[in-house]
Amino acid sequence: VSRALPLLVSVVLLAGCGGASSTPRASLLVIVNAPFSKTPSLGRAIEDGSRLAAGEVNAAGIRVGDRRYDLRIATMDSALSPARAVADVRRAVGRHAVAIVDEGTGVDASWQIAERAGVPIGVVFEGSENIVDPAKRRNVFRIAPTDHGIAFRLAEYLVPKGLKLALIHDDSDYGTAGGQALAGAFSRNRSAVAIDLTVPADALDLGPQMLRARRARATGVLVWGRPATIAAAITAARTAGWQVPFFTPPTGADPFVRQQLADHPSWVDGLTFASGRLTAEVGTGPFQAFERRLESEYGVERVGVKTRSGRDVIQPPETAMYAYDFVNLVAAAIAKADSTEPAKITAALEQVSVAGANGDSRGFNENNHEGVIDDDVYFARFHDMTYSPVKDDPLSRTLPVVTQLG
Amino acid sequence: MTSLAALAVAAHLVSLPSPLTPLSASPPLAGGAHTSGEGTPHRIAADVEVGVTVDTNGTLVGLRALQRLDVRRIGDYTFTIGAPVTRVLAARGSQSAPGQRTGAILWAGFNPGRRVLAASAELDPSAGAALPLRIERDGDRVILRNTTAITAPAFTADAQSKELLSTLAAFRNGSLLGGRANVTSKVTRTRISVSAPLSVTGSIGGRRVDVVLGGAASPLTRSFPAGAVRLTVRALRAPELLSPPPGESGRALLARTIRASLELARVRQYDTFLGNPDPAGASTTTYRYVTGVRATAPSTAHRKQGRDWLATALWIAGAIVAAGVGAVVWSRS
Repeated sequence: VSRALPLLVSVVLLAGCGGASSTPRASLLVIVNAPFSKTPSLGRAIEDGSRLAAGEVNAAGIRVGDRRYDLRIATMDSALSPARAVADVRRAVGRHAVAIVDEGTGVDASWQIAERAGVPIGVVFEGSENIVDPAKRRNVFRIAPTDHGIAFRLAEYLVPKGLKLALIHDDSDYGTAGGQALAGAFSRNRSAVAIDLTVPADALDLGPQMLRARRARATGVLVWGRPATIAAAITAARTAGWQVPFFTPPTGADPFVRQQLADHPSWVDGLTFASGRLTAEVGTGPFQAFERRLESEYGVERVGVKTRSGRDVIQPPETAMYAYDFVNLVAAAIAKADSTEPAKITAALEQVSVAGANGDSRGFNENNHEGVIDDDVYFARFHDMTYSPVKDDPLSRTLPVVTQLG
Repeated sequence: MTSLAALAVAAHLVSLPSPLTPLSASPPLAGGAHTSGEGTPHRIAADVEVGVTVDTNGTLVGLRALQRLDVRRIGDYTFTIGAPVTRVLAARGSQSAPGQRTGAILWAGFNPGRRVLAASAELDPSAGAALPLRIERDGDRVILRNTTAITAPAFTADAQSKELLSTLAAFRNGSLLGGRANVTSKVTRTRISVSAPLSVTGSIGGRRVDVVLGGAASPLTRSFPAGAVRLTVRALRAPELLSPPPGESGRALLARTIRASLELARVRQYDTFLGNPDPAGASTTTYRYVTGVRATAPSTAHRKQGRDWLATALWIAGAIVAAGVGAVVWSRS
């Protein structure tokens, strides 16, 4: 008995330890609905940001009542097709997802399917105005610059410069929504507009349209469209020897623009785009720490161009940051709701904030489901294939340069 | 020996109560205001207008607040203004839109140097407990009651006049920094009742009203012939205490200065009905009382939940009528 007692005690203690540490956690499904097949880099950015956040959340798990839960990420390909995006959301609801991280395509139709199940949708790319409406679409949230915010900030920035602008948008969904946002933003300053033009999204040559803009005596060109449209517009202007300044929404910073103009790096110089700020007032530290964690897990996104000194240029992970923040907000909302019921998570999303990847507070509220407010829109200008915040805008001049060299 | 007395005996210097220290948890409502993530603290002047609607008995039937924050200094801001809000909207002149959460108004953005943030909020009636004036009906009279009175710790002693006179002068010039007293006798603890003096102007039943309620020199209540009220209420910065008569003794001056400090603390509380994110910023609150009817519930897009009792009652009444008609028909068939 004297020899058996310590053994018995050890067995009991080990059994106790094992029981505490190996209690399996249930997992809660978060779906990433993005155009993986059509724009893989965008889809991957959303997936990577979501997975990074879920991994960090799962280190401790989410406590609900007496249980702890993990987040499990699964992907679905929307292929930039509203019909496929809607089908994806239907499948996500069928699989009892607690949240959907969405690029934005098809949300106008899919939100109702998700709402019936109480499932929140977090849009992290598409910025068009009517996607988000806290009164009517209580389950739709967004962390991405809005077209409205981008357009009004562009007007605020450009009108005082006294430029006569050619406002050009392409006929893609993105370009059309941007055209509407620009029309609203410049409605009180029509004297700043030399000409409005709609161009085909798939045009390879925009020479005739740029000639019209030049003949309208435009002294600046604001192009709202897909990256290919922006590259085509710049190519047409520079080929014709027109050294007019170009301004764009966030797509101006898409790697595709620089890839297309890689043979003429000087054509990229001076291109100014508006986008959501990457860093908070605390500086670059939090964003760079996020960037390092993302890179160590999933690698860097190379732009595919080099600086004049031959250094590789990398793309800061803006969209991944938004996806990361949304998944963290979902985790905070689950904890706040103390429930895994999607409808309660949706309601709790209006009541929580988290420290975002860039160090800023990120959250929604009952009046506003936008995680990037208009004040967060800044301007950056390219030089030598990398960009830095402009100095002639009150917000932008306070922002540090984010490293973009590999 | 208490530490206070020890201090007095040892150094003859005693700190006076600070006008910056609130004497109760509320106001400001719901813990006041706070900031987060500010790299540069902003300088903020806060102005609040509280709309109080009462019925003919003085019972609160509606409460709203309009807060205007004048924010200075460049940089990001994130403000949380605690309040039991039921609805929040941007008010005229606001350069940004407020957010709303349970128990709070939210502001977040970038201030390019100066930004005016204005929110109009409907408040839960529970916030009425923090109002400075209560209106009561007593037969054919209306009683106005200052509700700001509170008992606060104080002390008495003989004291030198010089420091006390300079503290009172600083108060007259708008300072809210507490002073010190150079005491020359044993310090005796005591408790005193203080209230924020309220200027009440307007009309009751068409008759002009212009009175001060509370403070050190006025009664807390006054009554008037009953009628509809239209009153503006502001807390006064203890004017009855800040100018002592010549030759007042050091002991009396000390008592006056302590009372003034506590009264100013109370005034500051009622001048900050909604919190100011800048603890050192200027705050003013004006309360407007009117007789009216219960405000209609704000329309919301939220789907109505639960049973519709009116419809249920109509269904029951309809069923009873139908049953009665049926019974009559049956009895005659």
